[in-house]
Amino acid sequence: MKKTLLSAVLLSLFAQPAFASTGQANTSAIVMFLLFIAGTMVITWWAARKTQTTSDFYTAGGGITGFQNGLAIAGDYISAASFLGIAGLVYVSGFYGIIYAIGFLFGWPVVMFLIAERLRNLGRFNFADVTAFRLGQTQMRILASSASLLIIALYLIAQMVGAGKLIVLLFGIEYKFSVVIIGVLMMIYVFFGGMTATTWVQIIKAVLMLTGGTLLAGLVLYQFGFNADTMLAEAVRVHPNGLEIMAPGTAVSDHPLNALSLGIALAFGTAGLPHILMRFFTVSSAQEARKSVIWASSFIGYFYLLTFIIGFGAIALLVRHPEYFTTAADGSFNMLTDLIGGTNMAAVHLSNAVGGSLLLGFLAAVTFATIVAVVAGLALAGAAAIAHDLYANVIARGRSTEAQEMRISKISILVLGVLAILLGIVFEHQNVAFMVGLAFAIAASANFPVLVLSVSWRGCTTRGATIGGFVGLVFATVWVVLSKTVWVDVFGNIDPITPFPNPGIFSIPLAFLSIWFFSVTDKGANAQNERDAFDALTVRSQTGIGRSGAAEH
Amino acid sequence: MQKDIVQQVLNHPKYLELVKRRTRVSMIFFATALIIYSGFILTLAYLPDLFAQPLGEGWTMSVGVLTGVLVVFSAVIMIAFYVRFSNKHFDPLLEEIVRDVE
Repeated sequence: MKKTLLSAVLLSLFAQPAFASTGQANTSAIVMFLLFIAGTMVITWWAARKTQTTSDFYTAGGGITGFQNGLAIAGDYISAASFLGIAGLVYVSGFYGIIYAIGFLFGWPVVMFLIAERLRNLGRFNFADVTAFRLGQTQMRILASSASLLIIALYLIAQMVGAGKLIVLLFGIEYKFSVVIIGVLMMIYVFFGGMTATTWVQIIKAVLMLTGGTLLAGLVLYQFGFNADTMLAEAVRVHPNGLEIMAPGTAVSDHPLNALSLGIALAFGTAGLPHILMRFFTVSSAQEARKSVIWASSFIGYFYLLTFIIGFGAIALLVRHPEYFTTAADGSFNMLTDLIGGTNMAAVHLSNAVGGSLLLGFLAAVTFATIVAVVAGLALAGAAAIAHDLYANVIARGRSTEAQEMRISKISILVLGVLAILLGIVFEHQNVAFMVGLAFAIAASANFPVLVLSVSWRGCTTRGATIGGFVGLVFATVWVVLSKTVWVDVFGNIDPITPFPNPGIFSIPLAFLSIWFFSVTDKGANAQNERDAFDALTVRSQTGIGRSGAAEH
Repeated sequence: MQKDIVQQVLNHPKYLELVKRRTRVSMIFFATALIIYSGFILTLAYLPDLFAQPLGEGWTMSVGVLTGVLVVFSAVIMIAFYVRFSNKHFDPLLEEIVRDVE
C-alpha cells in the first residue's frame, strides 16, 4: 500500500503536464489528497485506542503540549475562508484585505490578556464550565449551548458550501459528492478519535499550510528579486484600480462606523468562539495555555503576512496568464471578475503560475486539509454543547454517567455530520458570505461579555449574565438579518433596515450594559451566594488549585 | 476541605500581591493592545488619506500597508512580552503559594 502510494507520488512528479489547470482532476493533487487521508486514518486508528473517557474525547486527556496546541489552534483558526478569502480580498482590493487579517489576529491579545489562563484553570471540557462555575448551571448551559450551536451551524454551513465549491474546482468532482466526502471524513475522525485525532489533523494541516504558504510567498518574491516594493509597484501598474489598492478604499470611508464595528467584532469574537476556547482544555496547565497562545499567534501572524504577499503577488502575476481567466472572443478579460472559480481562487491559481502543477496539487491538498480540520473542530465543540451542556448538565442535572454522556456525544457527532452534509447541499446556491461575520458577531456579543464578566466581576449574577447574553445574541442576529447582507442579498428586499451590516459597535456594549444592569438590580438570595462564591472562583482562576486534569497528569 | 483551601489561599500574604499585580499587568497589556488596534482602525476609518500616502519618493508601498505589517508584529511581540513577564514574575510567586497551601 505504502509502496504503491510512494511510486504514485514519484510518477506524478514526472508524468504531469506542465499546464494542469483547475477544474479538472490534477494527479498530484489527488495523490497528495490520498496521502493525507491515509496518514490521518492511521492517526485516527491510534487515537481511537487512547479515547476511552469523556476527558479523552473532549480534551485528549489534557496531554497536549503548549507548542502542539499552538499549532493546532492555528490549524483550527485559519479556515479556508480566511486563508483563501483574505488572499482573494487583497487580490481584489489590496489594503482592504489586510484589515480583516489584522482584526482576526488581534483576537489573540484579547484572549491572552483577558481569559486564556483563567479559562484553563476554571474549566474542564468547554467554556460553559467556566461561566457555570459559580452561576446557575441550567441557565448558563442553555445560554452557552444556544450561542455555541448557532455559531457552529453558521460556521459549518459557510465551510461546507465554500469547501464543496473549492473541491469541485480543485479535484473536478461533483459538488454533492465533495460535501459528502468532507462530512464522512469528519465523522470518522471525531467519532473514533475524538479530540486526539482532531488535534493531530489540525497540527498536520497547520504544518502543511505554513509550508505551502512559505513556498508560495517565497516563489512570488523570488520573481521580484525579493523586493516587496517592486512587487507592489507591478501590482499597482496592472490593477484596474491602480494606486487605490495601497489605500483603505471607499468601502471604509463611505461607512467608517461599519469598519469600526467590524473591527470590534473580529477582535472580540475570537475570545467567544466555542471551538477555539475548547482547545485550551487540551493542555495541562495555565502555563501551557500561555505557551499555546504565543505559538498560535506567531503562526497565525506569520501566515497572514504570507497571505499579504500572496494576494499582492497574485495581482502582479496572474494577469500574465490569460489561461486562468474566462476570456472574451478577442482574448480580453477583466482580472477582477473573470478569474476562473472566482477571486477566492487567486492563491490557488498563483501556486500554479509560480510553482507548476506540483505546487498546485500541494495547495489543493492543503485547502482540503484545512476544511476537514476546521469542520472536525466545529463538530467536536458542537457535540460538547449537546452532550456536556444540554444533556449531562441540563437534562440529566449532573446525574448521568460518563458512559451515557459519551454515547450522547458520539450520537451528536453522527447527527452533526449528517446535518452538515444536508445543510451543505441545501445552501449550495445560497449566498453564505455573511455567515462567518455573523458567527463572530454572536461570539463577541453573547459569549465574550458573559465569559469576561463572570470571571472578573464579583457582582455578576445568573440573572444578569443570562439576560445580557441573550440580549447580545438576539440583537446581533436580528441586526444582521435586517442588514444588506441578508435582508437585501439573501431575501431580495430592496432596502436594508439597519444602516450597515456589522452590529458589534452596538451589540457588544449593549450586552455588557445589560449584564451589569440586571446584575446590580438582582437582590435575590441566590445572587448574594453567587457574589460570595467569587472568592473561590478567583482562587482557582489565579492559582489553578483544584483545577481539573491537574492531579491525573 | 475545599473551603479550607480557599480560605488558606485568601489568607496567604503573597496571594493578594499576585492578584493585584497580575490584574494590573494584564490590564496594561490589554490597554496597549486596544490603543494600537483602535488607533489603526480609527485611522483607516477617519483619516484614510494618511494611510494612502507612499512611504517616500520612489516607493509604492503606502504608510497604511507598512503600518499594517507592523501592527501584525506588535500583536505577537506584546504576547511574547506578556508570557516572558508571567514566567519571570508570576510563576515563582504562584509556586510559593501553591507549595505553602498543599
